[in-house]
Amino acid sequence: MAYNKPIPEPSPLTQPFWDGAKAGKLVLPRCTNCNRVHWYPRYLCPFCHSADLEWFEASGEGRVHTFAVQHRAFGGWAEEAPFVTAYIDLNEGDRMLTVLRGVDPKSPDLSWVGARVRVEFEPASEDVHIPFWRVVQA
Amino acid sequence: MPGELSRAAAIVGAAEANEIGYPEKNKTALQLHIEAIKNVSDQTGIPISRIDGIFSAGWSSELAEHLGLHPKYIDTTSVGGCSFEMHVHHALAAIHAGIIDVALVSHGESGWSSRNIGGRGSGRGGPGGDPWALGTQFSSAYGLSGAPSNYSHAMTRHNHRFGTTPSDFAHIAVVTREWATLNPRAVMHSKETHPFGGPITVDEVNNARLVAWPLTLLHCCLVTDHGGAVLITNPEIARGLKTKPVWIAGAGENMSHSNMLEMEDFTATSAAASSAAAYKMAGMGPEDMEMAMIYDSFTVTAGITAEMLGLAKRGEGFTLWKDGHARPGGRLPINTNGGGLSFNHSGMYGMQLLVEAYRQLSGTAEDNNFSGLKGKQTKARSCIVNGTGGSLSTTGTLVLVAD
Repeated sequence: MAYNKPIPEPSPLTQPFWDGAKAGKLVLPRCTNCNRVHWYPRYLCPFCHSADLEWFEASGEGRVHTFAVQHRAFGGWAEEAPFVTAYIDLNEGDRMLTVLRGVDPKSPDLSWVGARVRVEFEPASEDVHIPFWRVVQA
Repeated sequence: MPGELSRAAAIVGAAEANEIGYPEKNKTALQLHIEAIKNVSDQTGIPISRIDGIFSAGWSSELAEHLGLHPKYIDTTSVGGCSFEMHVHHALAAIHAGIIDVALVSHGESGWSSRNIGGRGSGRGGPGGDPWALGTQFSSAYGLSGAPSNYSHAMTRHNHRFGTTPSDFAHIAVVTREWATLNPRAVMHSKETHPFGGPITVDEVNNARLVAWPLTLLHCCLVTDHGGAVLITNPEIARGLKTKPVWIAGAGENMSHSNMLEMEDFTATSAAASSAAAYKMAGMGPEDMEMAMIYDSFTVTAGITAEMLGLAKRGEGFTLWKDGHARPGGRLPINTNGGGLSFNHSGMYGMQLLVEAYRQLSGTAEDNNFSGLKGKQTKARSCIVNGTGGSLSTTGTLVLVAD
């Protein structure tokens, strides 16, 4: 079945991320001056304001920072509700948003905060594979 | 003789983006902003981190977030091509007043490039807006839509960190509804104004339909129409009017992020910084506040903000409502109009806060069946007013005092 949810459109600034995703890799931006990782992609490092940024392949691992269960949604997501959204603390630093997989939206549990997660990629179109995070056994 | 503001500040640098005109490679508006900002920082030797006031035609929160800044003065005046001259005027006043030291006035507009690429990179938001906007690429893909879908994450984190529960926050909805029963213009005033109006219980809040767990419908504000306006003038004019003045003793503003992706601590907002500035200007502190008008888009917004304003300890904001202090007759009445939760919330609720704070401090909060019923007028002589915008992103705080 065709992917029926919003499909992100890569921009020149974010193209390396989406190229990585298509290859099944989580590729993140990092500042070569202060060495800190930031998400989302920037024109300048938000920590030291250097313009010397690079892309690198991250571990694809992290932990749930916080989450919610969406009972109201629109478009393709409406058919999937309820579903769990979560902010993920990346092992390398900073945070990404995801729809969390591997949990039951019907019985939310505060213990999911801190759970270990791993990234996976779903092909939404030929060129855009969207990262989703899945809870792995704690 | 020159006026007081004359020469109170100087323009110390001016720069442009790396390529302008018809760039060889299409550029985004954000990119043009950031290049120019980097260049003017290099030119003057003033690090970007020293910028504490941001002035741009609609872009200020995005720029601050992109640069990781938490500005003390945020101006997005956008009234056409003259906006930037106005920004300089406003910056002059803000620097003269000692609110900021370094003002950034920034412009980035991809009039040529965006035409070549179907509006992409223009930075215009909303449905049908810029698909390259970072929020569109990295948030919309995951089904978040509307404020409850975002704010719910803050309640979960608060529950995790402080051991609080959704039931604790439900007390905020219950007490706020009690105030609404004293306001005939509140949507949820009574069964006459709404089929589900009138008093509610904690159980009813807990058992209402889930919108975004842990938020049920009764943790969420209304969606209504509203129009409001205030007039502000100098003491001389204020003294000659038929209405009572309410004095602006303190004011402050700040922001921590624009997109919730960039919210470092989901249990804290920039209201800590904006209220610190407001208290300092007023020469007053939380202990001097006799009532509060706190933006309550959700129960969790009000609970966390009460903590940020210093009205309660971290993790204990909800106790102001649970222990009855915020109720009619309590020691610290809060949201005496019935709040965004039960009175009126049109999308941007800050004006409703101002109208009610004025009424309370001018003694007109129950002068008739229009602004309030008997029992709504408090004895408060001071009020802290805090507006929250975006996704717990931006805050503006006022300390208002009665004449």
